[in-house]
Amino acid sequence: MSGVFAGGLALADQSPPEELVVAPVSAPEDVLRVEHLAKSFGQVTALRDVSMHLKKGEVLGLLGDNGAGKSTLVKTICGFQKQDSGQMWLHGQPYEPKSVQHARELGVDVVYQDLALIDELSVYQNMFLCREERHSGLPFLNSAKMKREARKVLNDIGIRLPRLDVPVARLSGGQRQSIAVARGVYSNADILLLDEPLAAMGAKEGAMILELIARLKQEGKLSIIMILHNYVHVLESCDRVNMIVDGAIALDKPTAETSVLELNEIVVEQYRRARQAAQVQDVA
Amino acid sequence: MTPSDPDAAAPAGGEAQPRLPPRAALSPWTLIKRFLTMREGSISIVTIALIVYFSLSIPAFFTSSNFQTLLTYFTWLAILAGGEVFLMINGEIDLSIGGVYLFAPLLFYEIAGGGISLVPAVILTILVCTGIGVVNGVVTAILGVNSFITTLGTLFALEGLTLIVSHAEQLNMPGSAVSTSANGSSHLGTFASIFGAGVYSELVWAVVIIAIMQIALTRTRWGLHTIAVGSNRIAAAEAGVKVRLVVIRNFMVCSSLAGLVGIMEAVRSQSISPDPSSSNSVLLDAIAAAVIGGTLLAGGSGTIVGAFIGALFLGVLQDGLAIKGVNADYLDFYLGIAILFAMLINVYVGRVRRRSGVG
Repeated sequence: MSGVFAGGLALADQSPPEELVVAPVSAPEDVLRVEHLAKSFGQVTALRDVSMHLKKGEVLGLLGDNGAGKSTLVKTICGFQKQDSGQMWLHGQPYEPKSVQHARELGVDVVYQDLALIDELSVYQNMFLCREERHSGLPFLNSAKMKREARKVLNDIGIRLPRLDVPVARLSGGQRQSIAVARGVYSNADILLLDEPLAAMGAKEGAMILELIARLKQEGKLSIIMILHNYVHVLESCDRVNMIVDGAIALDKPTAETSVLELNEIVVEQYRRARQAAQVQDVA
Repeated sequence: MTPSDPDAAAPAGGEAQPRLPPRAALSPWTLIKRFLTMREGSISIVTIALIVYFSLSIPAFFTSSNFQTLLTYFTWLAILAGGEVFLMINGEIDLSIGGVYLFAPLLFYEIAGGGISLVPAVILTILVCTGIGVVNGVVTAILGVNSFITTLGTLFALEGLTLIVSHAEQLNMPGSAVSTSANGSSHLGTFASIFGAGVYSELVWAVVIIAIMQIALTRTRWGLHTIAVGSNRIAAAEAGVKVRLVVIRNFMVCSSLAGLVGIMEAVRSQSISPDPSSSNSVLLDAIAAAVIGGTLLAGGSGTIVGAFIGALFLGVLQDGLAIKGVNADYLDFYLGIAILFAMLINVYVGRVRRRSGVG
């Protein structure tokens, strides 16, 4: 990571900023490895060159500015969209999810930033969407079982809802977020991707989710990638932090070796670089 | 609320609890209010009121012979509306059911005329109609053409094809002939009795199909995914719902039902009338029945039973006005006013439902 701040020194001589790209790293205990991932939407490059890895039982915090490519990365890993180039490995095997369902079958589940909840469906229907319980041998949904299971999961993670058969449209933002997180936790995945899991939550509800993540970390079964904006939350909840800048990983550090101050400095540096690049372009 | 209900027994703590109506001690007034605020509630009341009005004002209305006449007004419409509801919940619409309705009996005529027996000919015809649904679905869900435009295209194409193949001439429907015995009594064949010409044949088909579809909508994964796609397509896809497959499947069902109804109506009338104006009217009536029954054009929610009641409402209205001897010129006018009136009540009840938190 020694090259992270090298570009800042180049400002004085007006040369173009140096690339900030973390090289691919792998370790034997990696459950997920991503190398040179790129993804564009028309003229917009969302991921330029992303290489990252996730160890077993690890909680990895993913930071980055709006539009840096965090959500695109998560949506690519969870099978919602396919990368233009680059490879992924899951437990050392090539990983090419064909769909969200396929990724889920392979043990990778996700909680989206927009929560992916269906307003018209009830709490338990949302929790079991695409993994519905049915009466054995029949095509009919086993609603009683789904309600029972949903209640158990929500109780386990400390979410109190009086009824599970009400449409989620009628719940508060925090409660909706809790249901989306509970759905991911319930999925029996061994890798869970959380895209801003605290976005719509109040302080108390947010603390509850962080507590849940701490508990999952302690159990050691789940490996988690979590997009967050609050540096304090990252340092408290994550083992390691990756910062994504302009579609590439620009920082990879254990949280024990960094601080809010350093993360802030990187962001400030990032803005300085962006301004510098714009000036260089204007001159050209 | 029972102690064994894990849902009800759950703790109600936490900060941001939703305001929910209590589940116990329902008074008669609460039950009535709940019924009225059901999606099917308001149109049920309006339909009953209409039946009472016609029964009191026309002696010939509430009779068994008129009941048989009434069946011919609404049973086929209920089946068409049922198929349309699934697509409308998806946030799509199928205008081509008019074309399929017109084309199916002609296709059946050609297949049966080619020496294939009647029941296999029905099956083959419906399979072709299912194929038309696949085309509609693929063009809409995969190629991204708006379903209104896609199905408008197939509507015109099928109506045109029907006119070309039939040379715009009326034809006798195979299998619908009535035989006359030596003593002068007439007999329907088994095929005709089952496929539309029997007095209660279409009613039985309608009730069975509506029941199956209502169960499919509320008790199966297919129904759940249909609602999910109509409510929030992106969220449904993110959750893993195969959005395109759901939409294509619903187009297939809608077209298949339109084909079945087209055959049954031709058997009942014993003739194939290649008249696009009648099929266009059929199409609009089916959409009206679905909407009056409480299905939103915007998608995300709807009811198959409501579509049945909506079709019954339209049938009662047309039948009652016809018996009353209302001039044909006024019929559509009254029909239009009645539809608007029923819809206004639906909209009002929908608002009450949302305010009261019923859903």
